[in-house]
Amino acid sequence: MTDTPALPTAPPTPDALNAAEGLDPVDPAYAGVLRVATALNLIPLAIGASVLDALLIRHLDGPYGLMTAAAWLIAIVGIVSFPSRRVSRWGYRMGEGQLRVARGWLFRTDTIVPFVRVQHIDVGQGPIERWFGLSHLIVHTSGTHNSMVTLPGLPTDLAAAMRETIRRHIQTDFA
Amino acid sequence: MTETAVSATVAGEEPHWQRLHPATLALALAELGPRSLQFLPAVAALGFTGNAIWIVPAVLASLLISLLAAWFQWLRFRFLVGEDEVVIESGVFSRQHRTIPFDRIQDVSIEQGLIARMLGIARLGFETGAGGADNDASLDAIAIDAAQALRQTIRAHRSDQVAAPVATPDMADAPTATEDRLLFAMGPRQLLTAGLFNFSLAALAVVGATMQFFDGLLPFDFNIFNPRDWIDLAGDYGLDQWLLAHRWIAGFGAAISLLFIGFASGVAMMIFANWNFRLTREPRTLRRTRGLTTRTDVAVPVRRVQAAIIVTGWLRRHFGWHELRLQSLASDGEKERDHQVVPFARFADIDRVLAEVAILRPDADRPWQRSHMIVALGGLVGATCAGAGGIAALAFGQSIGWLAILAAPLIAATALVGARFHRWTDLDGQVAIRRGFWKPKMTLLPHASVQSIDIKSDFILRPLGLATLVFGVPGGSALASHEIPAIPVETARGLRAHILAARARS
Repeated sequence: MTDTPALPTAPPTPDALNAAEGLDPVDPAYAGVLRVATALNLIPLAIGASVLDALLIRHLDGPYGLMTAAAWLIAIVGIVSFPSRRVSRWGYRMGEGQLRVARGWLFRTDTIVPFVRVQHIDVGQGPIERWFGLSHLIVHTSGTHNSMVTLPGLPTDLAAAMRETIRRHIQTDFA
Repeated sequence: MTETAVSATVAGEEPHWQRLHPATLALALAELGPRSLQFLPAVAALGFTGNAIWIVPAVLASLLISLLAAWFQWLRFRFLVGEDEVVIESGVFSRQHRTIPFDRIQDVSIEQGLIARMLGIARLGFETGAGGADNDASLDAIAIDAAQALRQTIRAHRSDQVAAPVATPDMADAPTATEDRLLFAMGPRQLLTAGLFNFSLAALAVVGATMQFFDGLLPFDFNIFNPRDWIDLAGDYGLDQWLLAHRWIAGFGAAISLLFIGFASGVAMMIFANWNFRLTREPRTLRRTRGLTTRTDVAVPVRRVQAAIIVTGWLRRHFGWHELRLQSLASDGEKERDHQVVPFARFADIDRVLAEVAILRPDADRPWQRSHMIVALGGLVGATCAGAGGIAALAFGQSIGWLAILAAPLIAATALVGARFHRWTDLDGQVAIRRGFWKPKMTLLPHASVQSIDIKSDFILRPLGLATLVFGVPGGSALASHEIPAIPVETARGLRAHILAARARS
């Protein structure tokens, strides 16, 4: 609501939907975070499947071993190969007056939040992220849809710097 | 209450804590009625186990405990109206202390149920715009004049300091009313017309289900949905022979009674909800009072209005009747996420209200752009599934499959026709989005209300070069976000850049 609002610049690469197409990439170490998180989800599932296989299928004279093999195969593929792909689907760009966050591959979403519309900002860090030295930035808007826009996989100091940038905009707006 | 507010400001004086009206206890008693239903299983258990003697003491004890609990809660609940804040302390065991600055109160609502009106008390709700119904504080029962005085205090405080900080240019030219003006009212005649258009088969279903449920319980053995009952009734008058010869009479009678119930329930619901409907323009707010038994008094701050939604029905549109809702930061009750400010009116009345919130309705001859027909895909897939399911059911010898097969083309046709009605247009400073054929809905969204914009595409839209625009707008339901589905990607990008350039509306 300043008299000369910082006009959001036209996105420099309007066609880009992720880092491979020209947006800023998230930190490659984020793949590690995803990998550990996926492992924590999938390995217990695979163990469960193996136990079920051993306890149930074997006694039913079913094809013993099939389920175990499939579960572990899925888990290994999910842990080894998918995280790096998922990382490359994210992209962001700090514009002149706006934050742009793009994500997804099958279902792509490209969100723009003007800084002047930001209500407050969180920089969060989970235990796995701390291990990799990363943080995530959460931008809260007052919109009911998109009330939280999360950008994961940022080096902690960069996340803090981005927070400061956005905070300055909020301050100048309401001063 | 005004005196209290003043007295609390006097320096050095002990803060003046207040309790709720003692009638709160009476209200708690009244609430016990419906709540005692939950004792039914326990009562039944006592009865079945042969301990029937204990039923009365048990019920009495539970009543006593509830009353005691209500009394303790009343005793431990106190509030303080300070210079620029309301402080509420509550809780028997875990104390909760909440401070609400007047600045943060978007809206003060006053609600009176039937009993509350007889006792002269009202429920006062503070809308703070915080997410979730639990987050909004309320004073369950205070005297009605105290409630109105408190609201005046809060409003006066708000308008005192409005001058300085946020004067948005688009709102500056909105007429700042100095005195209250009646914008829209509904008399009994208009309520009746509105009620007739409110024909509701949902109420019919409820009546039908109740009839089924109470079939054995009713003192009279008569089910209006059962043609045989009608024949029996006719038999009492010696008409049965004639009726059996003219069976269609029975069907006709059933149809007439269905229609009657549909219309009567529509009219009754409209009258109960909107009796003596008045929408007035006050200095900073639109104020709506309505209701026959439960009278509600809600104020929508004009500057908090984020979007306008005009809803109508297929039939009532042809008669020129529409309904206007305003999406605001504060919510309207628990179920509704926007405020119904005009339940039933012609465009002339609606335009007058829209002018107060500085929103424009597009002219009739404005060109609209259409969404791609691909939005019908979901319905078509559903129709295919219904058809396939029907065929499968038939294959298993279930004749109900015909129903699904018949429904499939209907679903498909609805989806295809509905898709043609997804339209949008960009007015000066606001976007208008239309959708729906059976229940047409037009959303008028000022650019300045938009907090964030998504461009979404998926594996179906992308090959077609399409994208969906989703707007983040304050207020409203999280489930029904405002979106323009399936428009060309280039158009979507252009529109996004255009909208984001707008200035904030606070």
